[in-house]
Amino acid sequence: MAALAALLASLPAAVFLSLLFEGIDRKLHARMQGRIGPPVTQPFYDFAKLLNKESVFPSSSSKAIFASAPVIAAASSILAGAIPLASLVAGTSVVGDLILILYLLTMSSIMVMIGGSSSGNPYGAIGFSRKMVMLIGYEVPLLASILPLSLKSQHSFSYHGIVQSQVGMGTCFAFAYPSSAFAAAAFLACIPAAAGVVPFDVPEAKTEIVHGYLVEYGGPHLALARLAKDAASFALSFLALTLFFYHPPLFEGHASLGGLASAILCVAFAPAMMFLTVTVPRTVFARLKVGQAFKFCWSLPLTLSALSVVLSAAGF
Amino acid sequence: MRQEGSAVRIGARSRIKSPWLFHLNTGSCNGCDIEIVASLAPRYDAERLGCVLVGSPRHADVILVTGPVTRQMLPRVIRVYEQLPEPKSLVAVGTCAASGAPFIGSGVIEGPLDGIIPVDAYVLGCPPRPEAIVRGIVTAVRRRFS
Repeated sequence: MAALAALLASLPAAVFLSLLFEGIDRKLHARMQGRIGPPVTQPFYDFAKLLNKESVFPSSSSKAIFASAPVIAAASSILAGAIPLASLVAGTSVVGDLILILYLLTMSSIMVMIGGSSSGNPYGAIGFSRKMVMLIGYEVPLLASILPLSLKSQHSFSYHGIVQSQVGMGTCFAFAYPSSAFAAAAFLACIPAAAGVVPFDVPEAKTEIVHGYLVEYGGPHLALARLAKDAASFALSFLALTLFFYHPPLFEGHASLGGLASAILCVAFAPAMMFLTVTVPRTVFARLKVGQAFKFCWSLPLTLSALSVVLSAAGF
Repeated sequence: MRQEGSAVRIGARSRIKSPWLFHLNTGSCNGCDIEIVASLAPRYDAERLGCVLVGSPRHADVILVTGPVTRQMLPRVIRVYEQLPEPKSLVAVGTCAASGAPFIGSGVIEGPLDGIIPVDAYVLGCPPRPEAIVRGIVTAVRRRFS
């Protein structure tokens, strides 16, 4: 019952934090470019504005799919962000394990893809095919990089179990074993592609294929599609922090407040993860071509995660 | 009633705080287009007011029209204007879009723009300064969205 209440409370918190994280990201991005940048509250204004705008359905679109895809995408992304949050607060496993969380993130990508391809716009179709390529590129190393964690946590894929095994070890996975250190590097290298930010934003390249799968969306549907993306990058940076960098002396040991205190500490440190994996790449690098992006995913992150799986199977 | 009032207020405020721009060139010499980019670049940074240049008219709130509207562009200007979801606003950037000068009276010009679609703000200059463009966006957004 407590777990369910924590999940229900985490859903609005995940929405709020996703928008806040986008605001922090945009502010840092602007500062790194020597601009003043929008206020941190800017994504809230954008969201409220888009919700209040007219929604337009292209005559060539299949309306039911076009309208429902962003709703499902936003719901799955928000749930993917809320489950780890609720699990930390409640101090127990909530709803599902790590496989479910990563599956929900994939679901969100697939739903915006389907929405874009149902718009009837050729740019939407190009966005669909490019997103498909990117999905194949980053899903394999991302999923492979959590295997060593499971092997080191009594063969459990439970998110809470993996976090707790770091408490048991007294150190975080990124520094515990060689295999999990490689896994952390692979996971971090996959985040820019999974969050769809600039070096890997080939599916929605604005100046190239006019926002790809988002091209025909406007108003409330665009608000939800953007929220889905924000929630995915929040979920990924929060997962990266708690799965690989949950250093017990830092995040644990506030017995009076329990799980809530460690959840708040993790939320406070998660922007550092996002800065490292989302803001810095998108400020420093220019957009890759789809082939280059795919080649990157299947060279560096896949090598790192394959290495980590082999090392963990060998017992390191 | 009071609830509805505050919802309307939040809607109006968020629209003023987040004008997304779509740039439409209707036969401009590219001078105004460069100045629009300059108003978004670090020195004038229109994003601090929430302005983002978007690629699709479906995402936009404000169209920045440059150029004197050539005959070829006339149906396209109207079509792009209609593709923006309501509520929307329009800024005529540069003397060409605002008055048609120096091409007024030419047989290949259908402008000035305000004879075709409603204009909320005029930014004069050939080309206008970036701060004038930012001011024009703010004026149009306040006039139309508040």
